[in-house]
Amino acid sequence: MRLFAALATLLLVVGFATGASAHAALVAVEPAGGSILKTAPKAVELRFNEAVTPGAIQLIDGASTVRDDVRIDASGETISVVMPPDLPQGTAVVSYRVISQDGHPVAGSVVFSVGTPTATKPPANVDVGLSALIWLARIGLYLGLFVGVGGVFFARWVAWSMAGLTVPRVALAIGIPSAVASVGALGLDLLGLPRASLVTAAPWKVAFATSAGPALLVAVASMLLAMMALRSAWYARIFAMIAFIGVGLSLAMTGHAATAPPEALTRPAIFLHGLGVAFWIGALAPLAALVSKPGTAALPVVNRFSRIAVLAVGLLALTGLGLAIVQLERPSALIETRYGAILSIKLGLAVLLLALAALNRFRLTSALARDEKAAPALRRSILLESAIALGIFALVAGWRFTPPPRTIVPETPLAIHIHSDRAMFQVLVAPGKAGIDDFVLQLMTGEGTPLAAKEVTLTLSLPERGIEPFERGASLGPDRYWHVRKIELPFAGRWHMRIDALVTDFEKITLEDEFEVAAP
Amino acid sequence: MSKQSLLFLVAVLAASPAAAHVFLEGKQASVGASYKAVFAVPHGCAGSPTVKIRVQVPEGVIAVKPMPKAGWTIDVVEGKYAAEYDYHGNKLSSGVKEVAWSGGKLSDKNYDEFIMHTVLTDTLKPNTTLYFPVVQECETGVSRWIEIPAEGAGHSHESKSPAPGVKLLPKP
Repeated sequence: MRLFAALATLLLVVGFATGASAHAALVAVEPAGGSILKTAPKAVELRFNEAVTPGAIQLIDGASTVRDDVRIDASGETISVVMPPDLPQGTAVVSYRVISQDGHPVAGSVVFSVGTPTATKPPANVDVGLSALIWLARIGLYLGLFVGVGGVFFARWVAWSMAGLTVPRVALAIGIPSAVASVGALGLDLLGLPRASLVTAAPWKVAFATSAGPALLVAVASMLLAMMALRSAWYARIFAMIAFIGVGLSLAMTGHAATAPPEALTRPAIFLHGLGVAFWIGALAPLAALVSKPGTAALPVVNRFSRIAVLAVGLLALTGLGLAIVQLERPSALIETRYGAILSIKLGLAVLLLALAALNRFRLTSALARDEKAAPALRRSILLESAIALGIFALVAGWRFTPPPRTIVPETPLAIHIHSDRAMFQVLVAPGKAGIDDFVLQLMTGEGTPLAAKEVTLTLSLPERGIEPFERGASLGPDRYWHVRKIELPFAGRWHMRIDALVTDFEKITLEDEFEVAAP
Repeated sequence: MSKQSLLFLVAVLAASPAAAHVFLEGKQASVGASYKAVFAVPHGCAGSPTVKIRVQVPEGVIAVKPMPKAGWTIDVVEGKYAAEYDYHGNKLSSGVKEVAWSGGKLSDKNYDEFIMHTVLTDTLKPNTTLYFPVVQECETGVSRWIEIPAEGAGHSHESKSPAPGVKLLPKP
């Protein structure tokens, strides 16, 4: 037993060494989203909060043509999309899909205009069929890992009997192809390829380059070991244990939660959470089969399981709670975000599951000890537990499609265009919602050439709420735009902005406009 | 000065907006005649003493001669006018475009005047206001009296730092 603990620790350390940061988020774009530029930029630079691998990156130009002559330069956290030299006037869209360290694709688009804006729209690239495949493959994987490997572990280490293993066998048979399908589907998703491309090497290569690739390999290895542990051989118990540890390891190697900072806590938490689930859920099917059999053979097994299950359930609740806090950051995210909504339902189901487990432990197990007639009730309860567990798997698989609230970043900022015959100011407000906002001021002359200014001040007021004008000086950034960072806009509403640009010592250009600030 | 009287002074200054800006002493002037522009500086920049006054000479104003001031150095910037002006039979196409008094120190507690002699040519439109943008540089900070309202509109209430102006009257 000590040997396995040491092994698990070693594997865990290896997992840490390879894993890096978290779910990537776009932190800066140059030119900024919503910009109106006089001439076409040489390149669009996307900067993320961590190193990313480029997936499918597409340019739709002002003439609504999908261009195939863009060059992608990636180095660490920055991806540079080099524009073709003949970019026409109008609104262009760069839609990107990059692979973050947690193995998930992060997609979005940057819209900017050359000259006058036109009605180019970002592509809607949600492939429903592929998403369904990813989701189903993930449920299949969970079945294989928790019901399959967990079931074999239960049989070898708790029940000491190979009875009632039909369901785990089937789960393993589903799990292994599901893991393979997960890799392929991930590759397709990352590259934005059609399903027919599965026969080519590209999607597989890309998927294996992410943290999800090795994690799925470990999962497949665990399930194969569990299959071998089904045979009565001298190594069966050892293999069952290694496979069991592999479940936790595979989960801790990838995904939103495992890569959330602080990783030194979240990875072990995921590892233990996975083991807890595998122990508990894996036992359900063999237990149900055991208590269906006449005789009192089930009783010692049920007792043994119950004792360890209390520990496993405690561990599950503790790690689950910790991870939820890390991922959500604030309680309101539980209802406001899709990620939080899934977590809320999961928590509800988990409480139901705990209630059933408590019923089994404190009522039905002792009833079983006194009277055999409790067996059918216990069996029904276990089946219900299994059904709820399946529901939780389906829910958790849906997390793949929702970014955790801690990574949600503001989308395209609010863009305000103020125009007079002397000057043209393009103002970007990010996130453009009540709270703390950053302003980028792009100053141009009436002819659209850059306007050099000595000093720029931004004055804001919200007359409807009695907020008197307050003034902030802008600073000239290396991007040649004027920036005012971290301005507090306390309320949503129709704000008034005034921009004073000092052109010479004696001349100032002042433009004013109103803009709508949304509620956060 | 006691604290109370200082507060009183501040209150009075705040109550009379005309006194709170750098302004032109003579409120009216005729075009086609000479004009003594007197720039009144009633205070520093948020309490800091004034060390430099720069005045931009608007187009149509010629023959500018700043009046020397004890303790202050005069600098002028000459440049081309946008048009040629007739001055005592001579054609003038360039002259003083900017005047600066510097080197002195005018405390925020004191009042002073900076004077220059000018000629307002008859190319200027009567019944409009002629603005002289002024940059007041202080030991700490700068006040720019350079806001010129759009044509037709008077100084709006929101204008915090209007350029000193003089109402132009028709040629006598």
